[in-house]
Formats: sequence, structure tokens, C-alpha cells
Amino acid sequence: MIKNYIKIAWRNAMRQKQFTILNILGLSIGISTCFMIGLFLHSEMTYDTFHEKGDRIYRVNQPNIWGDWNELSSATGPNVATALREDAPEFEEVTRLLSTGAQIVRSGSDDEVNLYNEEAYFAAGENVFKVFSFEFLQGNPETALSEPMSMVMTKQTARRYFGDEDAMEKTVEVKDDDGTWKTYTVKGVLDNVPYKSHIQFDMIVSLKSYSEMMNAHGWKWIWTSFSTYGLVKEGTDIQAFTNKIQDIPPKWAPPTTKRIFNQTFEEFTAGHAWTLDLQPLRDIYMSDAPVFHSFGPTGNPMFMKIFGAIGILVLILSSINFMNLSTARSSKRAKEIGVRKVLGSKRKALIKQFVIESTLYVLVGTLFALILVQLSLNVFNAIAEVQLSLLPYLISPLFLVIVLLFVLALGLLSGSYPAFYLSMFRPIETLKGKVNSKFRGKGIRNGLVVFQFTISIALIICTLFVQKQLTYTSSLDLGLKKDNILQIHNIEQMGFDTETFKTELISNPAFSKVGKSFGIPPNIWSGDRYKALGGENDVVQLRNVRTEEDYLDVLGLEFVAGRNFESTRPNDKYKVVLNEEAVKTLGWGTKETYTTNSPIGKIVALASGSEDEFEVIGVVKNFNFNSVKQKIEPLVMIHHQNDKVWDYGAGLSFYSMRLNPEVIKNAAHLHTVIEGIKDEIALVDSSIPFEYSFMDQAFENTFETEQKMGLVLNIFTLMALIIACLGLFGLAAFTAEQRLKELSIRKVLGAKVSELALLFSSEFTKLISIAILLASPIAYFLVDEWLKDFAYRTPIDIWVFIGAAVSSILITLLTVGLQTVRVASVNPVKNLRAE
Amino acid sequence: MLLQLNNISKWVHSGGQKVFLLKDINFWVHEGDFISIMGPSGSGKSTLLNIIGMLDGFDEGEYSFLEESVHRLKEKHRANLYKQYIGFVFQSYHLLDELTVKENLEMPLLYKKIGGSERKALVADMLDRFNIVGKKDLFPSQLSGGQQQLVGIARALIASPKLILADEPTGNLNSKQGEEIMEIFKQLNNEGVTIIQVTHSEKNTAYGSRIINLLDGSIV
Repeated sequence: MIKNYIKIAWRNAMRQKQFTILNILGLSIGISTCFMIGLFLHSEMTYDTFHEKGDRIYRVNQPNIWGDWNELSSATGPNVATALREDAPEFEEVTRLLSTGAQIVRSGSDDEVNLYNEEAYFAAGENVFKVFSFEFLQGNPETALSEPMSMVMTKQTARRYFGDEDAMEKTVEVKDDDGTWKTYTVKGVLDNVPYKSHIQFDMIVSLKSYSEMMNAHGWKWIWTSFSTYGLVKEGTDIQAFTNKIQDIPPKWAPPTTKRIFNQTFEEFTAGHAWTLDLQPLRDIYMSDAPVFHSFGPTGNPMFMKIFGAIGILVLILSSINFMNLSTARSSKRAKEIGVRKVLGSKRKALIKQFVIESTLYVLVGTLFALILVQLSLNVFNAIAEVQLSLLPYLISPLFLVIVLLFVLALGLLSGSYPAFYLSMFRPIETLKGKVNSKFRGKGIRNGLVVFQFTISIALIICTLFVQKQLTYTSSLDLGLKKDNILQIHNIEQMGFDTETFKTELISNPAFSKVGKSFGIPPNIWSGDRYKALGGENDVVQLRNVRTEEDYLDVLGLEFVAGRNFESTRPNDKYKVVLNEEAVKTLGWGTKETYTTNSPIGKIVALASGSEDEFEVIGVVKNFNFNSVKQKIEPLVMIHHQNDKVWDYGAGLSFYSMRLNPEVIKNAAHLHTVIEGIKDEIALVDSSIPFEYSFMDQAFENTFETEQKMGLVLNIFTLMALIIACLGLFGLAAFTAEQRLKELSIRKVLGAKVSELALLFSSEFTKLISIAILLASPIAYFLVDEWLKDFAYRTPIDIWVFIGAAVSSILITLLTVGLQTVRVASVNPVKNLRAE
Repeated sequence: MLLQLNNISKWVHSGGQKVFLLKDINFWVHEGDFISIMGPSGSGKSTLLNIIGMLDGFDEGEYSFLEESVHRLKEKHRANLYKQYIGFVFQSYHLLDELTVKENLEMPLLYKKIGGSERKALVADMLDRFNIVGKKDLFPSQLSGGQQQLVGIARALIASPKLILADEPTGNLNSKQGEEIMEIFKQLNNEGVTIIQVTHSEKNTAYGSRIINLLDGSIV
């Protein structure tokens, strides 16, 4: 019997090629989209699963003690680990990783130096490989990091420094802050880090190499450059254990707060709880909080949700499509159903037949989808910046079983409505050809089309707003002139005195202004605790950046009160310039009150250890020094020669130049100018890595995720739209068939072709209008939610909705146009004769 | 007695009024009968045939088929009954276009869950009997109307029914083809198959043993 079903299905498919192609195409697009997303989600959700003891590894998080205490941070002080070792025997091992920032590393002799700026460079405790299962190719994981000045590196890193030679026991030199080179010995070579790891490293040095620094500072609980990981013993009750370790910070941290801030623990925390949070290793990558971690990539849970939802929606769309097309063909199958019933088929047997048929379609669609996925994987990988591959799955029995179940489930889902609908036909009527005259199931079918278009139109509107927001943010007035600013990095490597280099830069006619700073927008993150002097003032958190006066000119900042630093006044080095927001935060009013109560001359004091006081000499208009996703924070601009701040003489520094468009004519010229700077830096010290950036691009890059999302959203919207249009096309064909007689009679009675076309399309226009009405509030809600992430939002303009509405109606008319013309211009006699 | 209809009525409501399609029909059929139902358009011929074939229901009266009260049976049992005992022949043949002659013949056997080898034997028999062995792999569209109806009759016969219901079996055929078909019915009847046909043609009634005349839903 099944053979008979398959035969009939095959011959029907061959006879109505147009429908078959529409059906398979719709299914393939839907299924491949769904598979692609499925692969992506699976890959994202299986990060860090390669660690043998992974289910027992936890990261210890704590509040962000430098800012918002309600925000969870993955950064802890070094002594969280030591305290846990002491007080928490439930941990089999506790290890800590120090993020050192990028380091310059070299190997080889003078005539053949291999020198790189190593960004994936960390320091770790000697027991780190007892916790994590990174694979050693050479060396002993137990002892590789047990000595000071030892390090391990990955295979590909070793190749960079030593080529084909054995790296074990060889040495590399790492440049220290003071410009001297320290020698490390390679004690282990590891396989390259799996890409699905939230810890990505090229080199790890032993934490003991930093013992001087670790012992010198009394900052054991507030030097938050560490991440703490623990391996719990088997059978540990994590909830109870978490409760227990909450006692640790109040017990151990007070000496630190006392020594550094001269504050009691309670004063320092100001009523907040210094909690310790245990986060399972496998949750780290895809978790909402903490937002950042220092050692590798973070997943984007919102991306996941959006992708997941779209995957399911597109699948539903293509399933609906199948239903619509199948029931649309029903009049062609009606006779078969009637005959089968008369010959003794029960309804159940017919349902079975149609479900088997739809499963066959889904099976073929799935096969095409797998091919499609394989073909488009590279493009998707490039867009989403992932490394997905399909082939390893294809040999996994589990995957094949899942695919099979998927085919059966989708076949059942897609086949169910047509099967019930078709098997409902009564034999006498179908055999007499009466089924045409009735509009059975029309309500459901129309409902399905409305549903399809609601989704598609909502997606169109969302896509438009994503684009609109991206355009909006890149054209925002940032309060600084971000265009034409070239930034040279790694200036700190030149040592402190860079005046000679600056003179060189100034003499270059390509640059109209040149300035040095210890941070560049949109990446000014450092901050400290300050308070306004005089009276009982709260300690506030302000961002700070050390700059020279010229840098403010490079940025083109506008002073609303006071003045810039002046090199002719040596005392200016202990003075500061604030932004308006900082003035407000310190409680000195807003721009309007400056005339009566000027902030100029007021004193702002450090409140973190030292109590140094700085006089305010100027206030600049607020400008965005972070991504425009964020609000403008209060900012203190400190003179770069101010030696009272703790990080005086340390930290990354930059030269920024405003390009002179009069001089720089084209990209090639700009390239030459940049090459010139590179040569000059090499003259100073050839070990300084040359890096540069443009400020406008850096601001653009803060929207990389959104841009990627926008692109992916565009693709999926297109997919959804194509599927919906296929469905509409099918329905139009069906309706055309249904209404052939009615339209023929109208034509005999004198209706014009244009009138008939209008009549015919109006039904669909009505459906799409309903879809627009439904989609608009949904899209509004989604867009509104999404925009909440941004400090600066594009207005949710009505014209976008209107645009989407008009374009979807146009698409509708275009899709049904063919059918309209066919129906309207047919010779009426042909259709009436059959009656 | 093969079947018996007692006081069968069927009506529809139209504009608040009861319109009778069939009214108070009393009718019986013995095995081996060849009955022709005649009457003008709209007199209820097809409705009566559909009720006999259990494809349609009725509103009043009793219908027994082989001593079973059809009106008391559930849909499923009724389907089993007609599947087993009744074969249908249609004016427009109603062969499945996607299946070959052989496959069309096989269809009723599939629904009766008859095994593969027996199915083959029965189909071969039937092809032989109607002299259409050479056409077994052709599709209906490749046959003439008379040939299609031949296949239709063969399909109706293949499951060895006691009763064949034919709704204007020659209505779409030219007179020569029509005569051939009626000859076949005659022959089948001689072999003991009970036949009820609906027809417009006086000529066709001559092949039968009894004529029922319908007018406005009643037997006259």
C-alpha cells in the first residue's frame, strides 16, 4: 500500500511540476535556514565542553567594586583564591589567571629576531592545568608553570618563534614596563586551543614570575585583574557551598580596605554586599552576566534568542506554505479522494496517505536543505564569524536520528491540515466535481497567509529600524570631531619622553594638530574615586584620562567654562578639566548655573588612598568617549605630567593627529604618510609594534555586533519574505481556480479585465492589510525593546511602518499579478461549458 | 432477497419548506436481478442509487442489505459492507489518472488488504476476461472512452461484489461503445451478478429484467 502511496505521490508531483517546485523550494529554504541556525546555536551552547572535569569547574565572580556594585564582574583580586584555598575545602583546586594585557615578546638573536605583540598572553597559577584540560603535546602539565620565569605556549605560537625546531626548554624575552627584557623558558607546548573555549591563549606564563608585584602591593583584594576558577569536589551541594563562602570577603578583605583607602570594610562597601558568585564553567560563554571576561570571546544571548526565534518562525512559515500549497491543489486531488473512498478507503487510510506524502516532500526538502547548508556555510561563517561545519554531524548517528525525527515531525505537522482537510471530502460531491463551488477551509487558509505575512512584515519593519538606528548612531553629534583623526598606538613603549617624536609629527604638513593621551575614545574606561572638596560630600566614581593640552584641540572639544591647560603655566599640571557631566556629578550644578556658581577654581580630590587635590580650570561640553550605546559618563581630564596620580608614567599611550585634508589627497598618499610614521618609530626602537587606527572607524566598530545582526536579519527577512510569497503565489493560484466560474460569469455580464483584476487582487490586499495591522504593534514592541540598549535612539517614525506597508502590498500585487492576469483574461466560455 | 428499502424518504430544507428528494420509496432486489432506474432529470435516480450504494444517507425509512439493517449500522460497518459486496461504475469512469490500467484494477484489492500474489492473479484474470492485457501499462488518458469504461467495470468487478451499481454507464459513450458495455453487463448478469443501473436510454433498459420509473422522488 505504501508503495502505492509513494507511486501516486511521485506521479502527482511530476504532473504538477510548478507546485512541486514551489513546495520543495519553500521547504528547502525553511529547513536550511532552520538547520543553519540550529548548527549555530548548538555550537554556541557547547562552549567549554571539552574540559574533562568541566561539570565541576566554577568561576568565582564578585560585584564590580569599582563602579556599580549591582553589576556582576568576573574580575577579582588575587587573594580571593588564597582565601578560598584556606576556608573552602569543598574546592579540590582553586586557580587564578592574571590578565596582563598585551606583551611584546621576542626570540632569536640580533640578526634574526622574531618579535610579536602577544595579545593572548596571561599568567596563571601552577595548578591551572589540574583544573582545565588543555592538551599538552610536550612537557608536564603538573610542573610546567611551577617555577618563576617559565611559560607554556601553543603549537602555532611555538612555530612563530622557533619554526620547526623543538620549542621545549628554549627561551623567549618579554619586554617589561621599564623597557628591559626578561627571559622566560618554554616548559610546555600545547595543542592549539579549541575554538569553542572562553579562554583563548597563545602563551601562559607562571604566576610566580610576578611574585614581586604580588607581594609588593598591599592591594590583595582590590587588584582586580584576576579571574578565579575552582574545581569542586564531587557531590558538593553548590547552593549550600555558595552560601558558605559569602563570609569570606568580610573576613579577609578589611585589612586591604584599611591599608589602601583608610576605610573600614563597611565604609568601603557603603552598604553593598561583597558577594562571591559561583558560575558553572559551561554557562560562562553564553551568560548575560558578567558581561566581560578577559580571556576570550563572549557569546551574545540576545543573538541566540533572536536567531532561535527566527529559526522556528521560518520553519513554521515554510510548513504553512506547504499546507497552503497542498490544500490549494485539493481540487486536483478531489477526484482521487472520492474514488478511493468509493473503492473502500477509510478516512484514516487517506490521512495516512497524505501524511506520508507530506513526509516525502519534507524528506526531499531536507536533503536539498542539507546540500544548501553545506554550500552556504562558508558565507554564513564569514558573516557570523564562526567556524561551523556540517560534515562532522553527518556521520554522527545521533544527528541522523534527530534529522529523521525532524523529518517525521515536520511531515506530520505540514501534512496534518491538508490530510484532514482533504480526507473530509465527501465522495459523491467530489465525484460530481462539486468541490470547486465551495470555499471550504478558506478561513483557515487565509488565516495562515495572514500569519505568514504578519511575521514577514514584522521582520521587515524590524530590519528597517535596525538599519535606521545604525545610520542614526553613525551620524550623531558626538561632541567631538571624530573624522580624520589618525591614532598611533604603543607610544608608551617609547618611554616617557616623546617630545622629539612629537616634533617630528608636528612638522609633517599632513597633520594639522597633534596630541598625546593615555586613552582614546571610544575606549576610555579607567576611572577612580573622587569627591568634591569642602563640606560633607559623597565619594563619586569618575572616569579619568590623562592628556596633554593639544589632545583636546585634536578632539575639537568645546569649552563651556574656563580654559584648556597651558604649557606656559607649569602649575597647570596639577589642575584638571572636567566635562559637564562630572560637574553635575560632583554637585556643582549645570551649565545654566555656572554664571552664578562657577565650577572654575573649585577643588576635586582623589578618594582612593591618596587625598590629592586638583583645581578645576575648565569645563568642556559633554562628548561621547565611549560607544554611543552608553550615556556620557562624568570625566576628569588630568594633565599628563601630573605625578600625583597613582598610574603616573604607566599605562598605554597614544598620539592622535588631525589629518589635513588639504594635504592628503587620496588613500595612497595617506598610506605613504602612515608608512612614514612607522619608519620613524622603528628608528626610535625597532621592537615597538606599529599599530594605528582611525577614530571614526573605532566608533563604527562599537556597532560591529549590531551591524552583523543587521546583516543576518536582512538575510532571514528575505528568506521569510520569499517563503511567504511562495505561499501567496500558491494561494492565488488556488483562488484563481476556485473563482474561475464566478469571474467568467462576471465577464459574460460585461466586466472589464481591469475590473476583474482589481476584484481579484483586492482580496489579497485585504489579507495583507490585516497582516500589516497585526505586524505593526508587534514590530513596535520588538524595536522598542531593542532600542532600550542604546542611550541614543532613533525615533520610531510612522513613515517606516507606512513604507513597510506599501512595499508589502506592492510585493503582494506583484506576486498575485500573474494569476490575476491569467484569470481576468481567460475566455469565459471555456469555464462555463464544463458545468 | 439481496436488499430491501421500506418507506425511504429523503428531503432537504429550502426556504423553510421541506423539499422531498425521495418520497416513500419501497423497493426490493433479489440476487440475479438486472434493474434499470429511469426518470427525467431531478427525479431522484442518482440519489436512490447513492442510498443503495450507502454513499448517501436518508431521513426516514428502513434499508436492509443481506438481512442487515443498514440504517442502524455505524459509518465504519457500513463502509465494510459496501466494500465487500458492492462495486461502482460511473458515467465519467473515475479512473485515477496517475495510475496505469493494472494499478487502477489493483486499488480495491489493496483496500481489502489482499496479498501481493493473489492480487496479481486477480488482476491478470480481469485483464484477460476483458481482453485488455495489452493495455495494462497504459494510463487512462491513453485509452478511448469505451476502453476506460471497460477498465471501470473491471475495477468494480475485481473484488467479486454481489451487486454492481452503475450510474449512467454509457452516458459519455457513443452508441457503439455503449452497446458493447451493455452487452458486458448482460453477460455478467447471466453469470449471476446483480446489477442496478440508472439510465436515460430506453434501449439500455431492454437489457434489464425490471424497470423502476421515478418522477419527483416517487416511484410511478
